[in-house]
Amino acid sequence: MAKVMLEVNELTTKYITRFKENVYAVDHVSLKVEEGKSLGIAGESGCGKSTLALSLMGYYFPPLHYTSGEIIIDGQNITGLTPDNIRKSILGTEIAYIPQAAMNALNPTQKVIHFIEDVVHAHFPDATKKEIYDLARTRFETLGLNASVLEKYPVELSGGMKQRTVIATSVILGPKVLIADEPSSALDVTSQKKVIKMLRDMMETEIIKSMIFITHELPLLYNVTDDIMVMYAGQIVEKASAEKAVFDPLHPYANGLMGAIIVPEEGLRDVKLTAIPGVPPNLKNPPEGCRFAERCKYAVPQCKVIKVSLNEIGNGRAYRCIFSEDELREFYKDAKSN
Amino acid sequence: MKGYLKYFSGKLAWFLVTLVAAFILNFILPRLMPGDPVAIITQRVVQGMTSQAGVQKVYEQYAELFGTNKPIHEQFIIYMRNIVQGNFGLSFSQYPRPVADILKSSIWWTIALQFPAIIVGWLLGNTLGALAAYLKKGFDKVLMPISIFISNLPAFGMAVILLVIFAVRLKWFPTAGGYGFDMIPNFSWDYIKSVLIHYQLPFWSIVLISIGGQAIGMRAMSIYELNADYVKYSRFLGIKDRKIIGYVFRNAMLPQITGLALSIGTMVGGALVAEIIFSYPGLGSTLLTAVMGQDYPLISASTLIITLMVLIANFLIEILYGVIDPRIKAAQVE
Amino acid sequence: MLHTIKEVFRSPKFTIGLAIFVVMLLVVFIYPLIITDDPLDIIGLGTFFEPGIYVNLYDGLESKTYVLKLEDAAANRIASKLGEQERLDIQEYLLLAGVPEEEIDIEDTEKLLELWLNNYDPTVRFPGSTSAKRKYYARLDASLDGLLSTEAAIIAVKNEETGELEEKSLVKQDDYVNVSKVANVRVLPLGTDNFGRDMLTELVSATGVSLRIGLIAGLVATSIGLTLGLLSGYIGGWVDDVIMFITNLFIVIPSFVLLVLISYSIGQEQRGASTVAIVIGFTSWVWTARAVRAQVISLRHRDHVNLSKLSGHSVAHIIIFDILPYIASYVVMAFILQISSGILAEAGLSILGLGPKTTDVPTLGLMMNWAMIYSAHIMGKWWAYFPVIVVIALISFSLNLMNTGLDQVFNPTLRD
Repeated sequence: MAKVMLEVNELTTKYITRFKENVYAVDHVSLKVEEGKSLGIAGESGCGKSTLALSLMGYYFPPLHYTSGEIIIDGQNITGLTPDNIRKSILGTEIAYIPQAAMNALNPTQKVIHFIEDVVHAHFPDATKKEIYDLARTRFETLGLNASVLEKYPVELSGGMKQRTVIATSVILGPKVLIADEPSSALDVTSQKKVIKMLRDMMETEIIKSMIFITHELPLLYNVTDDIMVMYAGQIVEKASAEKAVFDPLHPYANGLMGAIIVPEEGLRDVKLTAIPGVPPNLKNPPEGCRFAERCKYAVPQCKVIKVSLNEIGNGRAYRCIFSEDELREFYKDAKSN
Repeated sequence: MKGYLKYFSGKLAWFLVTLVAAFILNFILPRLMPGDPVAIITQRVVQGMTSQAGVQKVYEQYAELFGTNKPIHEQFIIYMRNIVQGNFGLSFSQYPRPVADILKSSIWWTIALQFPAIIVGWLLGNTLGALAAYLKKGFDKVLMPISIFISNLPAFGMAVILLVIFAVRLKWFPTAGGYGFDMIPNFSWDYIKSVLIHYQLPFWSIVLISIGGQAIGMRAMSIYELNADYVKYSRFLGIKDRKIIGYVFRNAMLPQITGLALSIGTMVGGALVAEIIFSYPGLGSTLLTAVMGQDYPLISASTLIITLMVLIANFLIEILYGVIDPRIKAAQVE
Repeated sequence: MLHTIKEVFRSPKFTIGLAIFVVMLLVVFIYPLIITDDPLDIIGLGTFFEPGIYVNLYDGLESKTYVLKLEDAAANRIASKLGEQERLDIQEYLLLAGVPEEEIDIEDTEKLLELWLNNYDPTVRFPGSTSAKRKYYARLDASLDGLLSTEAAIIAVKNEETGELEEKSLVKQDDYVNVSKVANVRVLPLGTDNFGRDMLTELVSATGVSLRIGLIAGLVATSIGLTLGLLSGYIGGWVDDVIMFITNLFIVIPSFVLLVLISYSIGQEQRGASTVAIVIGFTSWVWTARAVRAQVISLRHRDHVNLSKLSGHSVAHIIIFDILPYIASYVVMAFILQISSGILAEAGLSILGLGPKTTDVPTLGLMMNWAMIYSAHIMGKWWAYFPVIVVIALISFSLNLMNTGLDQVFNPTLRD
């Protein structure tokens, strides 16, 4: 069995609002990513997937707070470390992050190389400018970026170029886990392709050892990642291989989401595009029972009262629903034939 | 360098345009108003004069001086020519002293008082605002309401309060003037000391007034920057908080510089009124005497000079800003 | 909408600001209903009467008298004439007059007065003493006269036939009258101003007028700014270029200067409060125009606006239904700020002597102007200027608090 790069057990984090209310945006989430593998996380906006990305870093600042659970990176449990230790020895070197809005992710009044110098110095205070420049240049060129980018201010770069610069900067220290939060959704199609290619290259050249890719665009996940996890209202509702998640989703929400995509595979063309009506529940007071019950077309009265746990069904598959696998598949078959 | 040159020439062109507009406004506003200004002026000057011919003569004299007997475009040429020659006519209230002479003696007082005060106020305000944004909690909770309250005091209000406390009650500073009333300006130590003592209250009242507004602006700007994406990103790359705060304050400070350029006009307005409270011998007091004495040439010239000073200050700040903010140079080359 | 209003009231800053403002408005409206005097009535002959309760002395003599035996009455009476400072002054004089220091006990009132009576000579002039000092001692001497007497004061009237004074009644030292029984008592909580007008009545009235000035100035400035901003932002092209050119021009040219020039040109006689307000409005629209334009530009290409365009709605319809609602919160905030800056602008102008004409109505600026002209601040007549500053600061503080509160609700990044 391959080495586990990232293991998360029952992680719960919350936002504390201005009015001192607790919002549990990540609710008992567990996941595992092995060396050389990538995991996709999907869900509507507001489902907690971006918060999960932030929470995985193990470095919290208000309004986000850690509640419980543990994060283990390459065998090292980081949950007990002090924030300064995490900053110094984990962030950037063990785990790195590509933000959602890369447009403004670089300090606007600093040349790219100076920012990279600050990043490297934060972990290796003794590195010389020359060493850092050489490192940055090699990394940028490996990833297909011109070294002249280093001497520019962010305003001088185009959107796509900025995003690729951010990605290259994130992996400058060769982290074991890379968390990419919607790295390509704000870009045009050509730039998107370049970004995706870059992420794949990094996996292949082992600049990074594993990756978590977060997006609301499912086709992208199917093409990029090995496994897929679907989140709804702060909880995991479905966990499966990319193949299974797309072609055999179990949770009604996951099924709804997959119904809402067009996968350019033969035999899927005739799948109807169905958006799921309704909005996710308010996480300040989440419902007692299944959080999706309000919007679920297969819901029965018990759904709203019984607390549903994640059903592990082997092969890394899991789903959160009171119905059995077969019952669910039956529902979907009926729906399709109608 | 090329980028900066482009920026500079753009700003210079704009400066010249505003300059011309300021001249035109100064020229045209009084002429737009109903009534014959020359007749009103004459009326005031000839009070008590009985000879009708004499009155007519005075009227013609002023009509000639202001050129109101000529078509409007010629009037403007005369006006511009006079300004270029530094000829603003003779003052009514301090006749026959030339207006240029009166202004020459007051302008330096204003420059020496207001520009240092505004800059010190700007620096202090920005520091406090940045601290409030960063420290939050106690400091912010105490400092912000005070800043908001102080910045809501009118400039003259602050001036009066300082004057009553420090000059009237505690008698630490004199109540009025730019130097001891029994002195003649010279370069003696006594005179300089007297000037410095008289300088304190007007200076600090302007500083205190500008601190509040700047602190509030800087705080909002810093909070905005603290929430910027690059802060989160830098944190997740493990960069030290202290370093990130450095980015934030630098970036928040830059727009505050343009903010200063844009608000300097308003600040000068308030500061001129503060000068009046202290009977400081600057342009504010000159303007007051001019208004009180219905001294039209003096009012017109003072307002023009004030506008010019603000425009020049504005231009200098913009030029400086172009040097400091790397984005300006970068953004011009496209 | 309802939710937004609820959010707004959850902001403590907004609520406090609104409360202060509403209290001031209530005072402005209710006070004149109770005290119906004309605020510009000159009631005091003289300048700057101190705040206090003014009891008519004539009516006091006519009122029923009560005898109260109060032990400290005599001491209070002496203390009001012969305080710490006066005793020290007397000591200083006596020393100059050659009285040995050990003989002077400034605590012993009787002895001190006796020494004073024996040694004070108004004709003597000590070397180095100023004439002001000499006059002071003469006044002190007069006020000390009869201080220790326990005799009653005699009230006499002139006999109309003989022209002689006839004793009518005696006022003894322990006679009192009940203030509520005296026919004429006037409370002047803030004293009078330099003209002898009741400061409080005038201040309330001035607050009302200044608020009106702020309101008019704010309305004018906001309407101009909003119109130009909308036109410039929505229509774009050359309209935008022209409007932005003018706006940027007026941003750098100080509005204070324009105000002075225009106000002066209008002339004192034509300057009513409303005229001044309109002029202020005309010189302070630039910021609103700029900000509205920026917001409109960001809205112009939003989906709902495009949809409205495709559905063939007129420009007016799009602006009113698809753009205005989105910038409404901003416009309200700008309006609030304009009110407070309008009030400050009026005050500044008035101090320069370019405010509304003085015979019509009082304004906060004019009150400040008169207090300054009569040097109230140097003479220590705090009631003539300090309440005015406090009211101006309170108005502008409350409006700004409301504004900050709104800002925090509508721009969540500013929340702390």
